[in-house]
Amino acid sequence: MPKIVGIDLGTTNSLVAIVENGAPSVLPGPDGSKLVPSVIYFDGAGQVLVGDRAKEQMVENPKNTIFSIKRFMGKDIQDVREDLPLLPFEVSSESEHVIRLKIFGRDYTPPELSAFILRELKRNAEAALGDEIKNAVITVPAYFNDAQRQATKDAGRIAGLDVLRIVNEPTAASLAYGLDKRKQGTIAVYDFGGGTFDISILKLREGIFEVLSTSGDTHLGGDDIDEILIRLVLGDMGAAPSSPERIPAIRKAVNKAKEDLSAADSSEIIIESLQYRRTITRAEFNKLIERIIERTLKPCRQALQDAGLNPNELDEVVMVGGSTRIPLVRQKVQELFGRVPHTELNPDEVVALGAAVQADILAGGQRDMLLLDVTPLSLGIETMGGVMSKIIPRNSTIPASATEMFTTFIDGQTNVKIHVLQGERELVKDCRSLAQFDLKDIPAMPAGMPRIEVKFLIDADGILSVSAQEQRTGKYQSIEVKPTYGLTDEQVEQMILESFEYAEADIEARLVIEARNEAETVLNATMKGIADEQYANLSDEEKAEITAASKNLRELMKSTNHQTIREGIERLSNATMHLAELIMNTAIAKALKDKRVREIDNE
Amino acid sequence: MDYFEVFGLPRILGIDLAVLEKTFHELSRKYHPDYFSTAPPAEKTQAVRMTALLNDAYRTLRHPVRRVEYLLTLYGFKADGSKVPQALLTEVFEINEQLEEVKAGRASVEEIDSLRAQIKEKRERFDAELQEASLRWDELVKSGASEPARKEHLARLAEILSESSYIRNLERDLDKS
Repeated sequence: MPKIVGIDLGTTNSLVAIVENGAPSVLPGPDGSKLVPSVIYFDGAGQVLVGDRAKEQMVENPKNTIFSIKRFMGKDIQDVREDLPLLPFEVSSESEHVIRLKIFGRDYTPPELSAFILRELKRNAEAALGDEIKNAVITVPAYFNDAQRQATKDAGRIAGLDVLRIVNEPTAASLAYGLDKRKQGTIAVYDFGGGTFDISILKLREGIFEVLSTSGDTHLGGDDIDEILIRLVLGDMGAAPSSPERIPAIRKAVNKAKEDLSAADSSEIIIESLQYRRTITRAEFNKLIERIIERTLKPCRQALQDAGLNPNELDEVVMVGGSTRIPLVRQKVQELFGRVPHTELNPDEVVALGAAVQADILAGGQRDMLLLDVTPLSLGIETMGGVMSKIIPRNSTIPASATEMFTTFIDGQTNVKIHVLQGERELVKDCRSLAQFDLKDIPAMPAGMPRIEVKFLIDADGILSVSAQEQRTGKYQSIEVKPTYGLTDEQVEQMILESFEYAEADIEARLVIEARNEAETVLNATMKGIADEQYANLSDEEKAEITAASKNLRELMKSTNHQTIREGIERLSNATMHLAELIMNTAIAKALKDKRVREIDNE
Repeated sequence: MDYFEVFGLPRILGIDLAVLEKTFHELSRKYHPDYFSTAPPAEKTQAVRMTALLNDAYRTLRHPVRRVEYLLTLYGFKADGSKVPQALLTEVFEINEQLEEVKAGRASVEEIDSLRAQIKEKRERFDAELQEASLRWDELVKSGASEPARKEHLARLAEILSESSYIRNLERDLDKS
């Protein structure tokens, strides 16, 4: 089994960790530091620096030193309009569905920029382990929507990583927390980071980590506190409109003062280049940031309500994320939950450690722990009058699915449009548009006659997929997906090709080898399936198709085009779907039977 | 496989939640996609589908109202929350009028509180009725009652459910305004 690393791709810092000999540890970079600042510097001559060396360039080269890119993941220009005045970056005019930053004349999307950070972590891990790393688990804020999760997966692909799982940050933290303590009971994880806030409530029982509810704000974090302080300094400097070039120096100074104030009663904001200096006391600071901290409390109350719990029913409140070092944060959390929060874990490292534990579970190293996570937002479809009809409620355990029936309104209609949304509000315009689907090739029938069953499936990463079947003909419908925010598969593949790291490597050769390996796995599994007793229950057509698809794939494996091989894999996978289903169902029936026998034995 | 079959249960409404949770955890340990990450694609897809079905079933069966709704759909009944309960036509008319006052911002805090208490009392009455009818269903199943007798009772269940969801909608409306 190849090694799988756990990655915390943070707004401010990123880390990579792995489980070795049963214990997770963060893998340091060549300079020995565990935290890689999530900063990317472009020198304009083809060199790109990531981490501490990039951070050094923030004040001198603000326009081409990118930071907090996580806040742009899965967003378009409208979403971040408010932040832009304080950010020194140049935004490309082509930022409609995906925001693009212009750096030395070239456009970069957030997944491409995040990929630079992931590649740095990959290199660090490879150097530390002396092994090639291809597989990773990456964490995201629990409250990330579908587009933000997909963007994170895309970033992994562009960086040459197979992202085996997207895990929610507070849940990952709970894994690291529960690992040491073998704790049982109900805990709340309050995760306040550089750019995002999450609250998750979990039940820990016999190795099962079951999320009961989650809530948050993906645009609320330490960055917002910095911005308040930046505006304070700008205000001090008088009416003179300050150029964006000044901001990085101010940002650096206020950030230092903010950190100082976690330990000291007062600090100084010093910006020598602008001949600026002021003292700020903790009391002043608290007054300024109180509004921000208050904003974290509403999601906490919501999560408690959704879990059906009172604060006193919690056994522990665990603090995660750098912003939980702020004394006022701790005080407010303590007031809300009526107990002293647990602050012993290193708030910077715990998420990466938990990601490594989840990676270990996927690698098969851990079978007694299991994470049952939930979807943070309700999934719905647009119905008449611009109303959103919920089909999977928020806080449903994932994977989760829902089936809806659709029909036609006009005789002979062969197309039906479906608009999928995420959110809690009633009107479509107040929810986040996820994608538009086009059901095509519906058999021509009188209006209302076709019965098209559409299945919505949210996988364990919290990402949606859709399949459709016309009930009268049993025919699977083709679906064309137009994501509202985000990149298409083709765009991501193009980015992999363009990514300068691979410009010289023969990417096609690598893709072909990967496809052939997968074809081999699928063929082996098919052979195993044919040997199973359930094979006899397939129809003659199904059996013939499995034989034909196997033969076809063996033939296609000789191809030097990975797409061709993938098509063969897909055909065989579809052909064996029913067989796999039968085998799985028998296994379940058997499990239930065994269980009943056991229970009778126990009596 | 229907949701009851997923848990190896007969189609009854009295479900022991502790046992349901235990089975949920056991089946999760068997089929969760986390344990199939290195398996071939078809098996992986099956694991995701099976776990989704298991999760959907658990979400539905552990909730007393959703459980009844689901049972009814299995027999082709549909609970419609927009239907005005015939049993309290006049009362509901009054409640609706008061609700309009609240929405228009013309009601005092005391009036809103009294309306809320009134609705709550009715909802609790329906909840109790629903629980009683659920128990009765289980008895019918266990005693092997005839098909028509069961159908008749299901129709009664559907009616109570429609009424209680109507009241529940009123309650939600009030909370929002």
